[in-house]
Amino acid sequence: MRRRGAEKAETKKLWDEDLSNIHLKKSKRKAVILATVICFGFAVISIRLVNLMVLNHKTLSQKASRQYDRVKTIKPYRGVVWDRKMREMAVNIETDSLYAVPSKINDTKFLSSKLAPIIKTSAADLNKKIIAKKGKGFIWLARKMDENASARVATLRNELGIKTIDFFTETRRNYPNGETASHILGYANIDNRGLEGIELKYDKYMKGEDIEVTFTRDALGNSMSGGTEDAVPGNNILLTIDESLQYIVEREISNAMEEWKAKAAVAIMMNPMTGEILAMANRPSYNPNFPAGVPGDKRRNRAITDLYEPGSTFKSFLAAAAIEEKIVRLDERFDVSQGFIVVGKKAIKDVHRHGVITFEEIIQKSSNVGAVKTGLRLGATRYYEYMKKFGFGDKTGIDLPGEMRGILRRPQNWSGTSIAALSIGQEIGVTPLQLLRGYAAIANGGLLMKPYVVSEIISPAGEVIKNFSPQVERRVISTETAIKTRNILKKVVEEGGTARKAYIKGNLVAGKTGTAQMVDPATGRYSSNKFVSSFVGFVPADNPAFALIVVVYEPVGGSYGGTVAAPVFKRISEHALTYLDVPMEMDENRVLLVTDAR
Amino acid sequence: MLDRRLLKNFDLGLLFVALVISLIGVMTIYSATRPVLDAEQQTFYLKQLTWIGLSLLALFFVASLDYRRPLQLAYIFFGIGVALLIIVLVAGRIGMGAQRWISIGYFSFQPSEFFKIFFILAISRYLSEMEQESELDLRKLTKITAIFLLFPVAFIIMQPDLGTALMLIFIFISMVMIFGIRKKIIALVVIIGIISVPFIGNIMFQSLKGYQKYRIVAFIDPSVDPRGIGYHIIQSKVTIGSGGFSGKGFQKGTQGPLRFLPERHTDFIFAIFAEEWGFMGSVFLFLLYLFIIIRGFHTARVASDKAGCYLAVGITSMFTFYFVINIGMTLGMAPVVGVPLPLMSYGGTALISNFISLGFIESIRMRRSFLSY
Repeated sequence: MRRRGAEKAETKKLWDEDLSNIHLKKSKRKAVILATVICFGFAVISIRLVNLMVLNHKTLSQKASRQYDRVKTIKPYRGVVWDRKMREMAVNIETDSLYAVPSKINDTKFLSSKLAPIIKTSAADLNKKIIAKKGKGFIWLARKMDENASARVATLRNELGIKTIDFFTETRRNYPNGETASHILGYANIDNRGLEGIELKYDKYMKGEDIEVTFTRDALGNSMSGGTEDAVPGNNILLTIDESLQYIVEREISNAMEEWKAKAAVAIMMNPMTGEILAMANRPSYNPNFPAGVPGDKRRNRAITDLYEPGSTFKSFLAAAAIEEKIVRLDERFDVSQGFIVVGKKAIKDVHRHGVITFEEIIQKSSNVGAVKTGLRLGATRYYEYMKKFGFGDKTGIDLPGEMRGILRRPQNWSGTSIAALSIGQEIGVTPLQLLRGYAAIANGGLLMKPYVVSEIISPAGEVIKNFSPQVERRVISTETAIKTRNILKKVVEEGGTARKAYIKGNLVAGKTGTAQMVDPATGRYSSNKFVSSFVGFVPADNPAFALIVVVYEPVGGSYGGTVAAPVFKRISEHALTYLDVPMEMDENRVLLVTDAR
Repeated sequence: MLDRRLLKNFDLGLLFVALVISLIGVMTIYSATRPVLDAEQQTFYLKQLTWIGLSLLALFFVASLDYRRPLQLAYIFFGIGVALLIIVLVAGRIGMGAQRWISIGYFSFQPSEFFKIFFILAISRYLSEMEQESELDLRKLTKITAIFLLFPVAFIIMQPDLGTALMLIFIFISMVMIFGIRKKIIALVVIIGIISVPFIGNIMFQSLKGYQKYRIVAFIDPSVDPRGIGYHIIQSKVTIGSGGFSGKGFQKGTQGPLRFLPERHTDFIFAIFAEEWGFMGSVFLFLLYLFIIIRGFHTARVASDKAGCYLAVGITSMFTFYFVINIGMTLGMAPVVGVPLPLMSYGGTALISNFISLGFIESIRMRRSFLSY
């Protein structure tokens, strides 16, 4: 039994083993099936691989390069502006601009609350601004900050260990003299683009060339420093302006503005021989370091943009034309005792009764009646020709933006009274610069010069790239006529003239006053209390160092050019002559010190 | 312990391919972490080289053992493994939002990496000792699931490590399938599965952590939030795609060193490799992996006993699932679940665990039955 039992057990074991083997074989077969399925899985993955790596390779690799290639523009230094003596009038200063890396800021609220008061914004706004760019790696917070603010931010940054904000050095345009010469210089905006004045006109020379450098950037916002290339700096500008003269002119018209509570004032000083502008100033003015929000009224360069009726100052051109055309003798007598003259439907009056006066005295005493008589004798066609020759109705071509050409109508469009009106400087619109240029022609012996403010463009290396030399437009009158006219203009400032207040000790002044009524825009008629007072002339009269025009708009408590503008002319001239070291021609009693005075 | 016959059966090819893949891994780690904008080279690749040295020792040791001896201790190992999982939950170190690490002095490791081996050993032992009926019925299946799968998976999900938990489930299913299940049960599971997917899916989705939900949403549509959720997937595709047919060349890849691709030297190392070696290189790498997988299943086929067969199947399917899920993840075909690429991803615990697994395969091959050939 036992034996059989053992045998049975043996058989069972064998059977079991066999059974186990069958099961094992089944399992193994299933393993093979599983392996096959896996191979199939590999095929699927490979198809996906083809799709990504072969079919979509281009798009995906572009995507990749877009995220690590960063093009950064390196801004150049803008050219410097110098006055004629190489004194700096517009420079660049390095300033800190603050930026943040929004993607790395954890607590925008906290950061905003700390920064906002320093960069002068509200915490809520700043917070919003940062959150709006949450995923980005860069955002400007404040550009071109002042030193105080950037120092405070730097301290804050160190104290709190904030690494998500940092500075970037940018250059900011700076005008060291503030308001001085603001209308000539104009200004450049925060991106160093010239917007007005020289900054606009010569922008393409001064701006330099940006350079684009491709940086490699990583996901943390680090970027490959290096970029050894520097942007090409802009060219420097040498002005004809003399900073000291400019300062004198600005100071004096400021004083005049205050004294006469005037609405505006303009003064231009020019070298009559060359056309170089030595000074050009306007009131009201502005500081080009802070151009934001300044109204156009203050930014406007009235010297070249504003038209006005020149009034009596215009009579000099009439006189010059009459002399050149030989229709009058200097000592010819004109009877103006009536005190008025009727032309067409218009009666033109003198301010004072003069009786019988010489041609010279018409200008000296500024007789309207005498001027009209001269004008009628000259005739419309000839007078128009001379006005045209003197450059009225045309741009002077000065190298500043925004110049107006003025209004000069053709004779065929004149009314019956136009010749009379034009004889006393009405019915014509001129800019102060146009008028000054005309006087410069009288001063220099009859040549109409092209005015300019830039004499040289100088490369960063110091080479002169462009040189602007004096340019003669044309001869307007003969030298002889010019001298004769000049001699008449000298008398204006002498005893018996309208501009005793322009008298300068030691040097002769040639000039002319002007008082023009302004047209009231409401009525279209001449206003009884709004005037433009002007004085224009040159000094020393026979060998002029400069020609100067002073125009005061709407002075209160005085109207005559002789009262308002002439003293300003005098003060500017005295300081200028001293500054320019012009020798005195005569002593206090008007005895000639220099015999050879041309 | 080692006789010459055993030594003769040692599969040098398998070892060689595994070594080649790990060295490719070191090379890729080096390139991925090389300094482009950073100051200096990070030393991950050196550490990985050290791990490879240790891993080789581990492989030789395990191969020299008769796999039946660790199998005898399988339940004890399993118990220790579960205990470690509990310790991790209670006292583990938190890394990258999950509690996966245990630190012992200087040394820290992820118990779940080793647990997978214990898990396979225990199930292999259990299945090999089952009665000789060829297929599992519902009662037995429930029993095995309750004993081996339920608690470990629960503990691992609590870490939370969804990737590893899924791996355990996949390994379990493939081992049980190889053993054999009644067709009725398969049918039943499939039907219940299909019906309950919406319910269970919803419940599971609701119970997932926020970032896990996002991963699934982002997997379906990466463009939902390209900076946040979908970032991994988009960057991975961009990286792979920019490799093109022939690749940018060694140390020419940019996505890793410039840190656009997160987890560049760990989970997403394949993307870095594909960027530098292109489609050709990737296919070559796949063939290397396929070689190991085929070798693994072949080992199951030639194993001299059931335990060896199940062990080989368990290990090979683990290896396979890791590979497939990882590559699927980098190619944007599977959700980002944080599964390393076997043999290549940086990380000591995983590497040693991979080589130990291959050691078991070697051990089974060396002691194979020549009869079944």
